[in-house]
Amino acid sequence: MAHSSFGRRQFLLGSATLAGAAVLGASAPARLLAAQQQTLTLYNGQHKKTTAAVVRAFTNATGINVDIRNGHSSQLANQIIEEGERSPADVFYSEESPPVVALANRGLLARLQPQTLEQIPPRYRAKDDTWTGISARSRVVAYNTKMISPDELPASVLDFATEAWKGKVAYVPTSGAFQEQIIAINLLKGRAATLKWLSGLKAYGQQYNGNMSALRAVESGEIATALINDYYWYSLASEFGSENLSSAIFHQGNQDPGALITLSAAGVLKSAKNMAAAQKLLSFMVSAAGQQAVVDSVAEYPLRAGVESPYPLKPFDELDAPDITAADLGDGADALTLEREAGLA
Amino acid sequence: MSLLTLTGTRPLNRALPPWWLIATALVPIALIALPLVYVVTRAAEAGWDGIRDEIFRAYTYSLLTNTLVLAISVTLAASIIGVAVAWCVERTDLPGRQIWRVVASLPLAVPAFVSSFAWSSMGSQFQNMAGAILVLTLASYPLVYLPVAAALRGMDTGFEDVSRSLGRGPWHTFFFTILPQARPALGGGALLVLSHMLAEFGALSLLRVQTFTTAIFASYELRFDNVSAALQAGILLILALFAAYTEMRMRAGTRHSRVGRGAARQPSLATLGRATPAVMFGQIVLSLLALGVPLTALAYWLFIGNSAGHGLSEVWPAIWGSSTLSIAGALVTTLLALPLVLLATRFNGRLARFADRLPYIIHGLPGLVIALALVFFSIHYVPAVYQTVLLLIVAYAVLALPLAQTALRASIALVPPRLEEISRSLGRGPFKAFLSVTLPNIAPGIGAALALLALELMRELTATLMLAPTDVVTLATEVWSHTNDAEYAAAAPFAALLILVSAVPVYVFTRRTLEAYEIT
Repeated sequence: MAHSSFGRRQFLLGSATLAGAAVLGASAPARLLAAQQQTLTLYNGQHKKTTAAVVRAFTNATGINVDIRNGHSSQLANQIIEEGERSPADVFYSEESPPVVALANRGLLARLQPQTLEQIPPRYRAKDDTWTGISARSRVVAYNTKMISPDELPASVLDFATEAWKGKVAYVPTSGAFQEQIIAINLLKGRAATLKWLSGLKAYGQQYNGNMSALRAVESGEIATALINDYYWYSLASEFGSENLSSAIFHQGNQDPGALITLSAAGVLKSAKNMAAAQKLLSFMVSAAGQQAVVDSVAEYPLRAGVESPYPLKPFDELDAPDITAADLGDGADALTLEREAGLA
Repeated sequence: MSLLTLTGTRPLNRALPPWWLIATALVPIALIALPLVYVVTRAAEAGWDGIRDEIFRAYTYSLLTNTLVLAISVTLAASIIGVAVAWCVERTDLPGRQIWRVVASLPLAVPAFVSSFAWSSMGSQFQNMAGAILVLTLASYPLVYLPVAAALRGMDTGFEDVSRSLGRGPWHTFFFTILPQARPALGGGALLVLSHMLAEFGALSLLRVQTFTTAIFASYELRFDNVSAALQAGILLILALFAAYTEMRMRAGTRHSRVGRGAARQPSLATLGRATPAVMFGQIVLSLLALGVPLTALAYWLFIGNSAGHGLSEVWPAIWGSSTLSIAGALVTTLLALPLVLLATRFNGRLARFADRLPYIIHGLPGLVIALALVFFSIHYVPAVYQTVLLLIVAYAVLALPLAQTALRASIALVPPRLEEISRSLGRGPFKAFLSVTLPNIAPGIGAALALLALELMRELTATLMLAPTDVVTLATEVWSHTNDAEYAAAAPFAALLILVSAVPVYVFTRRTLEAYEIT
C-alpha cells in the first residue's frame, strides 16, 4: 500500500514537472527567434500558399524575415481593431478589400510610399493612399456541364433570384465576395432591387457555408449553378485536372454585377514597429517580381501592367465588368444591414 | 472486509474550507469570469433597443430552433447509443467483448469536423439537420459510452442481486437499480455532448446547419464590431445555463462512494441468446458508420489530387505544436480544476456550489468568444502575455475546465471523506491528508482527465488561431487552413496525423476510465 501510493506521488510530481517543461518548451522557439533577429509580422487573410510564395521571394530579395499569421481576412481585421495601436501586426494582406478599408476608415493604416502607389493604376487603390490592391478576380457563375448548357444561363445575376431557378443556384451569404456583390448591386440597381434579389435568393436558392463547398456541390451534380469567384474553379481544376471536371465557369459580362471585379488588398499599420521594412514589403508586392509570385500561385489577375498569369484566364479586358472599384465598395457594412433586412443574417 | 459501500444521506462537511483551497479555487474562478464579463459588457453596448431588436428577430428564432433541435436530438441519441453499447459490452455475453470495448471508443479519435467532411463529401443528403444529427451522434456517443461503461464496471453488483432476489426482472433491475447508479456518469457524458453541440462550429459549417455558434462566427466575419456576436453569445450563454442546471438536477442527491478497490466478484452477464446476431450486427454497423466512413474518405483524399506532398519539415512543427500545447494545456487545466472539484465534493456552502457550477456556464461558448475576451483583456491590461503560449494555455484552461471537473469529480467522489478524516484523526493536517490519502487514490482519475483534455485541446481550432504565437501551428490549424484554401488532399495528411496522434490519448483515456475501477 505504502509502495503503491509512493509511486503515484512520484507520478504526480513527474506530471507537474512535465507541465512546466511543456509550457517552457512550447514558448522557447518563439522567444529565441524574436531575440535573434528583427522580423516583420504579417497578418494574412489571402490564400496561404500565395502569401508564402510572395514572402519567400521578398525574403530572398531583401534578407528581411516575415512571420505570417494566417486567418480569415475579416477575423484578422477584427483582431487588429481589437488590438488597436498595440497590434503586433506590421502589414495586413487581405483576401478582399472591405476588411482593409475597415482598418483605413478607423485610421489604423499608414500612408503608402508614392513609389509603391504609382506601380498600380489609381482605380485599384485607396483614394487616401492607405492601401493598394494586389491582385484581381472576377465573380462568375459555376455550372455543372451535364445539368445545364451555358446558353441557358441568364443574362444578369439578378435573374437567379427568381422562381425559375428554384433549387438550382448555390450562394454563400457569409463570403466576403458575396458581400461585395451585394454592395455592387445596391450601387448599380438601388436598394429595393438588392433586397428583392436577396429575398429571392433566400426563397429559391441554396445556402452554402463556403465558396469551395458550393463549387464542389456543382461539381458533384448536387446543384446546377453557384455564384462564386473564378479562382475557386481554377483551384479545383489544378487539383483534379480541368479535363476531369464536370463543372465550368460562365462570365456574366455585360457590365452586370454578376461580372464584378474584386481585389485582394494590403496596407501597412500605422502602429507598425518596423515601418521601413513594412513599406518595403508593400513595394515588393507591387513590383514585377512580387506580382509574378502572386499570380503564379493563384489564378488571379495581376494589377501591374506587363505581368502575365500562367493560368488560362479569360483576358482581363474582355471581362466587361461593371464600373465599380474597391474604393466604391468601401468596408461592406451596408451589405450586412441589407442581409439582415432580407433575413439572411 | 470484501466490500463496504457507503451511500446516501451522510451530510457534507459543514466546516469552512481551508484557506489554501479557497485561494487556489479563486484562480480558475477569476479566469472563467473574464469571458462572462466580456460578453455582458459588449452586449450592453447594443443598448436595450439593440438587445430587444436582436432577440425578437425571425432570424434569432430560427437559430434558436436549430440550436435546440440539434443539441437535444444529438444528446438523446448519443445517450441511448452510449448506454446501449456500454451495457452490451460490459454486461452481456456478446462475443468479442474485449475487442468491441476498444472499437466502441475509437470514434473519439476522429474529430467531428473530419467526419463531417467525409459525410458531406458523399452528397447533399447529409448536408442538413438530419445529416448533422446523424454525423454528430456518431462522433459523440463515446463521450457517453465511456463513463457509463466505467460506471457499470465499478458498480457494486450487490444492489442488483438484491433487486433480482426481490423478484424484479432484468429490465426493472436495469431501469431502477443499474441506471440510477450510472446516472452521474450518464449525466456528465450527456452534458458534455450537449455543450459540444452548443459550441460546435467546423462540423456544422460543413453540414450546412446554422446555429448560434455558426451565427456568431458569421457576425464576427461580416461586421467590424463585435456587438452582434456578443449578443448572440449572450443568448448561447443562457442556453448553456439551462444545460448545466439540468445536469446538476440529475446529479443532485446522488452520492455513491465505496471503500476498497472492489470485490472479487464478477457481475453476472446477461445472456443474449437469439439476440446475439442482431446485437453483433448493430455493433458492426455502428463501427462502420462512425469509423469506416471517415477513414475511407480520408484515405481517398490521401491518394487523390496533387496538392499533397508534404515533407517532414512541414508536418513536424504541426505535430510538435499539437502535442506540446495540448499536453501543457491538459496539465494546467487539471491543476486548476482540482481545487474546484475538492471544494465541491468535500464542502458545502455557497462558495463550493458556485465554484462547481460557474465553469459549466461557459462550456457552451465557442472558443472564438473566449479568445476574443482574452485578446481584449490581455491587450488592455497585460500586453506582455498577448500572443504568447501562456495566454493560449489560459484559453485552453477556460475552455476545458468543465471537462476536467467532470472527469475528476467521478474519481474524487468515490474516495470517502472518512478516509481523509481518519488520516486527520491520526494527526495530519488537511493539506497533508489530501496529499497522502486523496491524491494517490484519484491518480487514475487524473490520468483519464489528462488524456481526455489533451484529446479535446488537440482539436481546438478557433482559440488557437487567434491566440497562438505567430510562428506556432498545430495539426488542427493546418487542416483548417488547407481546407479553407480548398486543398483537401493537402489537408488529408494533417487530418490523418491528427487522428493518429489522438489515438494516444484515446487509448490512455479508455484504459484509465475502464480500469480505474478494475479489480487489482
